[in-house]
Amino acid sequence: MNAIDALDNQIIRFHGVTKHFGETYALRDLTFEVRKNDFLFITGPSGAGKSTLIKLLYMGERMSDGYAIIDGMNLARIGRRQIPQLRRKIGVIFQDFKLIANRTVFQNVALVMEVAGFKSRSVIRQRVEDLLELVGLPHQADAYPPTLSGGEKQRAAVARAMVGKPRIILADEPTASLDPDASERVLQLLRAAHARGATVLITTHDTRLLSRFDARVIYLESGRRVDGPAAAENVND
Amino acid sequence: MIDVCRRALSDFYRHRYLHGVCLFTIALSVFIISAFALFFINAGELMGAWQQGIRITAYLKPDVTKKQAAELATDIEQYAGVASVSYVSGKEGLAWLKEQLGAGSSLLSDLKENPLPDALEIHPAKNMAAMAGADRLAGKIAGFAEVSDVEYAREWMQRFYGIYNLFKVTAFVMAGLVFVAILFIVANTIRLILYSRREEIEITRIIGADEAFIKHPLYLEALMLGSFGGVAGLAMLYGAFFSLMPKLSPEGLLPFFQVRFLPLELVLAILISSMFVGWLGCYFSIRRFLRV
Ligand SMILES: Nc1ncnc2c1ncn2[C@@H]1O[C@H](COP(=O)(O)OP(=O)(O)OP(=O)(O)O)[C@@H](O)[C@H]1O
Ligand SMILES: [Mg+2]
Repeated sequence: MNAIDALDNQIIRFHGVTKHFGETYALRDLTFEVRKNDFLFITGPSGAGKSTLIKLLYMGERMSDGYAIIDGMNLARIGRRQIPQLRRKIGVIFQDFKLIANRTVFQNVALVMEVAGFKSRSVIRQRVEDLLELVGLPHQADAYPPTLSGGEKQRAAVARAMVGKPRIILADEPTASLDPDASERVLQLLRAAHARGATVLITTHDTRLLSRFDARVIYLESGRRVDGPAAAENVND
Repeated sequence: MIDVCRRALSDFYRHRYLHGVCLFTIALSVFIISAFALFFINAGELMGAWQQGIRITAYLKPDVTKKQAAELATDIEQYAGVASVSYVSGKEGLAWLKEQLGAGSSLLSDLKENPLPDALEIHPAKNMAAMAGADRLAGKIAGFAEVSDVEYAREWMQRFYGIYNLFKVTAFVMAGLVFVAILFIVANTIRLILYSRREEIEITRIIGADEAFIKHPLYLEALMLGSFGGVAGLAMLYGAFFSLMPKLSPEGLLPFFQVRFLPLELVLAILISSMFVGWLGCYFSIRRFLRV
């Protein structure tokens, strides 16, 4: 009973996952699992493979070896046509934001809902405005991303990741370019999403951030999972 | 569907500069190709009008009866290279002449009696072989006892067919070449549009868009470019045609020939081709750029 319960509760399961780009190994033999509604950090120095891990999760890349299951979908077997289904379950905050430059903040966020099949303009408008309110960007709704500050882009990216009410939120270095106030604000947003039931996975190389949370941490180094903070600590950036 | 249209339109607006360039390219291409078509169709018709005049006229001796003439006509019709034979009485011939002369026909009204004999008009089949054989045919017809005289423009006829065939081949080859060139240019312009948008498309895909969500507006935009460009190109041609034609009218050259604009079917065919070219350009660019 217990084992089945545990399986039922797992939303992400990686087993022996390896990803290499030619000769470069970004991830090696990585095994871990994430339970529903977990709040989890993945940390490690630059080049450890954090962004690669995020990419595998939303299938921006296919893994080289091993298997992974996300919300019941086996990533090794998934067909091209099912990838969009998987991606709609996941909200991603990219390290480089990936906002569309020639669409306004509002349009960027609304696109997620259009993609998800929402037709009613008023429903979309309402939801997007709520989200922009939540991240504190309502005044920039009609601005284009290139004109925003780093922190504003970050918050726009957060709004886009959350607007579709995804079961999983992946945040790749969401506080990297932010001052402490702005970082705090973004983390609060992620915690709010967690409180509403989302599973949240955050990558960071900021060890101070980890110490402020009582959350599970996975340490990566050169693509391998390592045991403790000791390994990660001596590489402060 | 409404949704796809809405997104296509807003894409159009968002990328108005590139779309404008593409639209102009298509319009210009359609203009060039339909100007070609206009020229060739009118030149072809002009030749057709000349062709009507090609015939062998066999003048009959005065004592030949209508019945004998009809028998002779059926005989000649059996010959290879003959399309049709018609009987023209002297009276009909005179009436026709009067009509052709128009205002000058008063010249003829002084005539006491009809100087024109009855005749058979032999229209050769419209092909090279018939033309080449026209000489022999005329010789044979001259050999009939009922025939007093045979008249036809021999050298002109042969030369005409040479030119006509050359013209036809040239028209097809030119049209083919221009079409291929235009297909290439339009496809590349559309490719440019998609290329400039590949990042946007990639992001849309990453946030969960399926192929249909991405492709349908693109195809619709390409069809819109094709149809608007086609309409614009034809409108340009139409404008040019009606502003230039009065000055270029070949009235002096050929009184009974009227230069005409493209027939409606061809206009529609050009529009549909232009939409098709847009679609095709989109198809190839998508295959080229949007595979992951
Ligand atoms: N597309 C790619 N082609 C080749 N090598 C790649 C590619 N993506 C990542 N790598 C390599 O994989 C390794 C891990 O990169 P990754 O971006 O995952 O690191 P990271 O932990 O996110 O680093 P950072 O903290 O700087 O963001 C690096 O050595 C990188 O050079
Ligand atoms: Mg990274």
